[in-house]
Amino acid sequence: MSSFSNMSAEEISSLLDEHGIKHGPVVDSTRNLYEKKLKEAMAKRKQAKPSPDKTFYREEEEEVTYVYRTPTKSENFMESRPYMRSKPEWTAEELEHSASYSGYSRSSEYRGRDYDELSHKMPVGAKTAPIRSGQDAPKAPKSPRLIPLWVQFLCFLAVAVFLYFVFSSMESSEPLKVIE
Amino acid sequence: MSTTSQKHRDFVGEPMGDKPVIALSGIGETLGKKLEEQGFDKAFVVLGQFLLLKKDTEMFTDWLKDATGANSRQAGSCAQCLKEWCDAFL
Repeated sequence: MSSFSNMSAEEISSLLDEHGIKHGPVVDSTRNLYEKKLKEAMAKRKQAKPSPDKTFYREEEEEVTYVYRTPTKSENFMESRPYMRSKPEWTAEELEHSASYSGYSRSSEYRGRDYDELSHKMPVGAKTAPIRSGQDAPKAPKSPRLIPLWVQFLCFLAVAVFLYFVFSSMESSEPLKVIE
Repeated sequence: MSTTSQKHRDFVGEPMGDKPVIALSGIGETLGKKLEEQGFDKAFVVLGQFLLLKKDTEMFTDWLKDATGANSRQAGSCAQCLKEWCDAFL
């Protein structure tokens, strides 16, 4: 451990920057404080050193799963949106529905990504993830999900079918059917 | 409004001018003396230190605790007081 009192103000300043500590000018009244901060930061680094590889690896793993999930997650997201949108136009042909579905896919792809970012809380991973996707696509990822994906699909389908049922019964001229 | 003391409101409500150190929220007789010993004899000198630390309340709190032995509440109160004064007048 180097002694800070022999260092110049600029050296201390650059050390603070290295540790990511936001600081003001290193002058007489602030020097002591910054030296203390540096000591704490260096001690922390020494403590954290044994485990950074593991966490990095876990981050890598999460990056991989994140990329693999993106297409399926955004698909899920895409499916829900056109249903809500085309509800008033349900009487129109199904062609229109499929058209809006495909047209929406492009704009919601980005939103699907955002949705993933929020759920995974790793915005940094998004930039480096696409590079890995090609390498790890054939692998079967183990995603840390609480609810399995097929359950989510099932729930969504159930809600969609229910909404369709409600809507179609609204269309009929017998409102009593809905209540029963 | 959060629970601020009368002292806080008095300080933050007007330019500090030549007010003594003990006019700062969180700084009483004991802490005031310790600050004066180190050359911080007026509130604006403590403001100077706060500004040198780039108005970072955490840094300032650490500094104040280190320099005077203030506890977290006193130091935090002083930092918040200075921050609000800066927001209003700086």
